[in-house]
Amino acid sequence: MEDRRKQTGRRALLKAGGLVAVSGALGSLGALVTGTGTGDHVRKRARWVKVVDRPTLGEKTADFKRFSGRDMFALYPPLKTQREGTGSFEAEQASKAKRLVAWINERKPGFSLPDQQLSEGAWTVMRSTRPGTGLLSWTRTHERKPTEPSAQRYTASPEEMASTVKAAARLYGARLVGIASMNESYVNLQVPQEDEKQKDKDIVFEDVDVPAVTDTRFVIPRKMKWVIVIAIPMDLDLLSRAPTALGDAASALGYSHSAFVVSSLAVFIRGLGYEAIPCVNDTAQSIPFALDAGIGELSRLNKLVTPEFGPAVRLCKVFTDLPMAFDKPVDFGLVQFCKNCKKCAESCPSRALSFDDEPSFKTRGPWNNPGHKAWFEDSYKCFQYWQKSGSACGICLVSCPYTKGNEAWIHEGVKAIASIAPATDGVFRIMDNAFGYGKQRDPEQWWTKDPPSGRRG
Amino acid sequence: MTNGADIFTITIRKRPWWFWALAGLWLLVEVLLLQTALASVEEGEVRAAAISWIAATVLAAAGVLAWLHRGRPHRLGESKGQH
Repeated sequence: MEDRRKQTGRRALLKAGGLVAVSGALGSLGALVTGTGTGDHVRKRARWVKVVDRPTLGEKTADFKRFSGRDMFALYPPLKTQREGTGSFEAEQASKAKRLVAWINERKPGFSLPDQQLSEGAWTVMRSTRPGTGLLSWTRTHERKPTEPSAQRYTASPEEMASTVKAAARLYGARLVGIASMNESYVNLQVPQEDEKQKDKDIVFEDVDVPAVTDTRFVIPRKMKWVIVIAIPMDLDLLSRAPTALGDAASALGYSHSAFVVSSLAVFIRGLGYEAIPCVNDTAQSIPFALDAGIGELSRLNKLVTPEFGPAVRLCKVFTDLPMAFDKPVDFGLVQFCKNCKKCAESCPSRALSFDDEPSFKTRGPWNNPGHKAWFEDSYKCFQYWQKSGSACGICLVSCPYTKGNEAWIHEGVKAIASIAPATDGVFRIMDNAFGYGKQRDPEQWWTKDPPSGRRG
Repeated sequence: MTNGADIFTITIRKRPWWFWALAGLWLLVEVLLLQTALASVEEGEVRAAAISWIAATVLAAAGVLAWLHRGRPHRLGESKGQH
């Protein structure tokens, strides 16, 4: 009798063991499946990403006007001088340069010579671009002959056209692609010139057939009513080493990749017989176009957060007269999540991000474009930290709970629940911290990774 | 079942529906935890991986114990009654 009992017990144990083994096998299988999935382009949105008629945040008032086009790089020197006295900017730059050299000699993790040159290398393509010329040329770089296939004009339904263009964009490296309608108020007033002595060139809309870049103006034809908005995910392995030169390399690579994607897509569209203007950060504000195109939602960072890659993306766009079906904005519960979370604001070393519970129309400086609702950031403080840390920071991008590797199924589950049950936001925020997400990783370890990089979202 | 002089009974009890529902839930959570653990290693999230491994192990052990515990009282009860 005792033996039989033992046998029955063993059987039960075997059954339980079997279950564990099955679940383990399923887990491994799942890891394999998701592992292959990370290389895929996002063609179809998850069900929890709802399509809506207007963006969830960013509503505009009559005060909303075209932005000057002068970014923080151009605004910072005069602001610094105005706030801290003549020579303060130059002194800060000299001190930063000295510090970076000292860090190379000290082999400071994240700022050694290889670290800094990795970032320089990643900038190569982007640094070779200027709006309206070369890769970002607004016109054909060679004249079409009637015998060339590109002299033909390709026609199809707007839906087919959108699908074709999105497929091409994905091939060139886009991970999220959306189509928005042209909104002239999102286009900058000017293209700042690198040479301070030169006058900034105006961007104007005219009833012309082809875009033009003259000595004084950038001319966008009014018939260019379509904007292809593209998101390029940043390398999380690099970005999670921010604020270091390695973190900078993630941004640099994103920009260079963007330049490649938009220039390739512009040539493709011109080959179909239409006009195309490729832009990275230049010419227009990418975020409002991205909101209209359903790439993501506006967040507490005052940046776009995508459902798939969080804010760790670089945005770029192509203006065209190629007729395509438009996409619509999306809602995945982000604005409500941002109200409860505030992790980015707490993580920001310069306290540049808003802690306000609700977004407002109150801007915080000339770097913000007034007339729309947002959580406005203090870019001056942010930029000061860039000088101090010797890097373009990026901590806020990593700390966002939506910035995750796409390997674990649980991330998708959490985002799905958060999209329909805001009551769970607080719990997810606590869990995000408990699991150690968004922490800075050891810069030195990056060089010994196998493979060292390449993971995007 | 008769076996000469010694007589004993084997009772096959059908487990209630909620047991299987609970087992299904357990399996689901176990799979999710194991997947999270493996995927977190891939993602380089050391702490998330460690927590998931620990949780998966604890849950697996709890499942085994629950399974064994579930069977034992019935057999003991019946053996007490029979003998």
